[in-house]
Amino acid sequence: MTPAWKRRLSFTRMGRWYTGLTIGIGLAATNTGNNLLFLVLGLLLASIIVSGILSEQSLRGVRVERRLPSVATAGQPALIGLQARNGKRRAPSFSLEIRERGGDVAGHGFLVLLPAAQSAEVAYRFVPQRRGLHRFEQIEVATRAPFGLFEKSRPMDAPAELVVFPREVPARPLVGRTLARDGERPEDRIGLGLEVHSLRDHRPGEDARSIHWRSSARAGRLIAVDREQERRKRVCVVLDQRPLRGEALERAVEHAAALVSRELDGGAEVSLALAGAFLPAGSGEAQRYAALRLLALLGAGGDGLGAPEPDAEGSVLQVRG
Amino acid sequence: MKTPRGLTLLQTQRWAGTLTAAFGFLACAVSGEMGPAMTALFPLAVAGSAVAGRRFHGRMQWGWTVLLVGALLVLGVQVFAGQIDIILAAALFAELLCIHRLWHRRTERDELLLLLLALLLLCAGAALSAEVTFGFAFLAFAVSGTWALALTHLRFAIEEGRGPAGSAALLNSRRVATPALLGGLAALAFFGIAGAALIFLTFPRVTIGGLRRASRPAPIAGLGDRVDLSRHGTVADDPRVILRVRLDPAPRGEPRDLAMHWRARTLSQWTGHGWQSPDGGLIPVLRLPQRPPRGRGVPSVLSADIEVVGQFTDGVVFTPEGWPLGVDFRQPGTPRPAARRLYRNAAGDLFYQPVDSGDVRYSVVADTDEPDPARVRGRGQRYPSWVEADLAVPASLDARVRALAERLGAGKDPADAAAAVERWLATALRYTRDLPGDVADPIADFLFVRRAGHCELFSSAMVLMLRSLGIPARNVTGYFGGRRTDAGYYAVRAGDAHSWVEVYFPDAGYVRFDPTPASERGGRQEGFQARMVLLWDSLQQRWRAFVVDYDLVSQAQAMRRIGQLLHETGRRLAGKDGGTGRLRRVIAAAGGVLVTASVIAWLRRLRGRARKGQERELTADQRRAAALWRVGRRLLRSAGIEIAVGTTAGELARRVPAAAGLVRAYAAARWGGRRLPPRVVRATLRELRSGLRASAGRDI
Repeated sequence: MTPAWKRRLSFTRMGRWYTGLTIGIGLAATNTGNNLLFLVLGLLLASIIVSGILSEQSLRGVRVERRLPSVATAGQPALIGLQARNGKRRAPSFSLEIRERGGDVAGHGFLVLLPAAQSAEVAYRFVPQRRGLHRFEQIEVATRAPFGLFEKSRPMDAPAELVVFPREVPARPLVGRTLARDGERPEDRIGLGLEVHSLRDHRPGEDARSIHWRSSARAGRLIAVDREQERRKRVCVVLDQRPLRGEALERAVEHAAALVSRELDGGAEVSLALAGAFLPAGSGEAQRYAALRLLALLGAGGDGLGAPEPDAEGSVLQVRG
Repeated sequence: MKTPRGLTLLQTQRWAGTLTAAFGFLACAVSGEMGPAMTALFPLAVAGSAVAGRRFHGRMQWGWTVLLVGALLVLGVQVFAGQIDIILAAALFAELLCIHRLWHRRTERDELLLLLLALLLLCAGAALSAEVTFGFAFLAFAVSGTWALALTHLRFAIEEGRGPAGSAALLNSRRVATPALLGGLAALAFFGIAGAALIFLTFPRVTIGGLRRASRPAPIAGLGDRVDLSRHGTVADDPRVILRVRLDPAPRGEPRDLAMHWRARTLSQWTGHGWQSPDGGLIPVLRLPQRPPRGRGVPSVLSADIEVVGQFTDGVVFTPEGWPLGVDFRQPGTPRPAARRLYRNAAGDLFYQPVDSGDVRYSVVADTDEPDPARVRGRGQRYPSWVEADLAVPASLDARVRALAERLGAGKDPADAAAAVERWLATALRYTRDLPGDVADPIADFLFVRRAGHCELFSSAMVLMLRSLGIPARNVTGYFGGRRTDAGYYAVRAGDAHSWVEVYFPDAGYVRFDPTPASERGGRQEGFQARMVLLWDSLQQRWRAFVVDYDLVSQAQAMRRIGQLLHETGRRLAGKDGGTGRLRRVIAAAGGVLVTASVIAWLRRLRGRARKGQERELTADQRRAAALWRVGRRLLRSAGIEIAVGTTAGELARRVPAAAGLVRAYAAARWGGRRLPPRVVRATLRELRSGLRASAGRDI
């Protein structure tokens, strides 16, 4: 836990010159005894003190929260928000640079003015270069106000994690045994599909949309239709990562992710079978998120893991390195 | 939408940088050592850079480089040849660098270099000048430098933080560099100045004393060794301060105007139209000649701490009335040996050497007991040979002068004769400075034609009359008077120039006589300009006393004084003093006033903020709607209809049909942007009243 009083101080380029000149003038004043040089020295030292007080005033009472995006994909820009609140009742804060410190991500935002008792948000663009877990550790609020001589910063603990999904690549066309069982299949039971299962008399109170008008006209009474229950296309993306390393693994993961996305976009139920992990079949955005997250966090190695176990009821899309 | 007036942030930042450089230059220029060409160059360069600087940015760099390297070489050669000192050379080169930067400023580096060069110019000014004008330049530099530093930081922080495209709107906005921002930064600068004063006061004055810049010796013109009586000057109107004098003991009653003759030199050789100094060189003085014994007790000693303004010294040592016993050029509290030595001429006038352009300070101790004419009576007329020069009567002396002298003093004791001539001149003739130009015999013209003249004519006439009687006498020039200043010294001004007579008496030496009417001695500097000159001089002296001459001794004294003050305050607050009760009451009253004022200010601020929050955004119609709503609620309450807190207008309209019109009008104007003229307000209230009357008695 970083204490609230902790500060870091560094010189700016102007600050280095300024300090050097101050020391030089101090030596000249001491050497010559020229009181006007002492006066100039006093002004320079007082400016340093005023600068220190005001920069502290700017930093004090400022709280910052990080706002992470829900989804981030390698190679694609993501906006990370930094919301700052000035907790001081009267004094505004000037010239605040808010930046990441430690962790895997570097980025910063700049606020010219943060009025008293108000909030403001800045964002920075972050383009992740790799998939996987990205850790955030601290947020540092820094200011060079009022004169730009020194940079005073205050680190604040703000641990967070962002899972970056694999890079988006076009899915490669697949060939082989796995395509034989593609398509949606009737299940020979009444359900909500499109195909007709059976006809029967319409029951009072039943939805009028279930009436089969042509049969009703033929029979002279209201005939209802029951639809066939259909099972959606079911695909299992299989990736055995055990023999893969480095770039080959990355390519395979990106390919697997592309397949998952393509199949989900096509309306299929997708399951994901990895060495040591299996994601049951499902559809929709939640399934996409779960599958991409699993792929994002997939590490190399795992020789002791068992081979991937594909979904027995789905078409198998085998991904090779 | 109305475009705000004023400068953009970018313009303000650039002007603040320019101003800072200008004040840094001014701090140098007030020393007067930079020369007219270099002094004139800077304002021209600033004006040029403001007009055409952007066009020339980054162009002809080779030309600038050649120019600067050439200037560096020339200055280096001049320093090496001893023509100028290194500080002045550095200041001149810094000025050129500053001009170069003013013409080439685009990046943050350019701006920061400009500010650093301005700071170097200020430092050079501190080494070159000790005048109070430097103090003003310093204050201006502190304010403009604060603006420049803060705005430069702001400008480039915005550019860095937002990028060129994102920052353009803000940098070109006229809403950023507002008077409020500049005022706030100026207040910050004054905090800096206060801090500077504190650091200045307390920073240990332990100095090594090496490389201290000395004033440059330069021959100067000042008190003349010749007087021409046929001309008329305006010296009596000149309010410039010549001498600053502190007397110990202070004159009784510390009068506003001092009646003191400040002796400079003897003019004893008549030229036909005036006087000139006696011939002869200067001899060093180890000890001043002793006063002839007078058979008296302990002499009355006066110590005069005299500071002569540089351009008026001419190497003459001024002495107060009386017999000078000693002259000391050492600075009080300084262990260093005096840099100047004392000399005298044949007439006994005192001088110092070497003579330079700076102010000269020395102290003169004098025996102020002067023999009056009665005490030098009866000493005969056997004069030593070395006073013969003071008996010389010009052959061309008008016979009427001799006749007048004989009428006044023939047959009398020399002391009585001198007193008689002095009295006659002071009473029979009139003092004036309004004289015609050349006259053939200024003394005869003064005594018998115009019968009016200035102090030199009075003293010249007396000298010649006494000499014609065989009494040795000489003309003496100097100053008369002294005006007390707020800074605690007496200022003798150029207009106080005066001339009087010294008459020799055996065994008594020279005795002073002044035939000029007492009321007319000295100058007439009473106007606004004279007061301003005196005020400026007083300011200058305070600057010198508290800033320029502040040393380890002064620091120790200041610290001791502050310590005593704190100790005394603590003692009084602790109740160890008889006057504590009153002090406590005063402190309690002051505290009470302060607290009350703070509470009132706080309440007013709160009220103002609340009012601002409510009304700042409201239009006239909206304010009218709010007032209508308040009156309507009051009418409803008076009709017995209680409205719970939080009841909305819509709810009210449903509950009280009579108030439907009120609600509509209120909502349309307050929130819907509709107009609500006063006649509608009145009609709405009328409708509400009649509705309430109609529904009176109903239980709502």
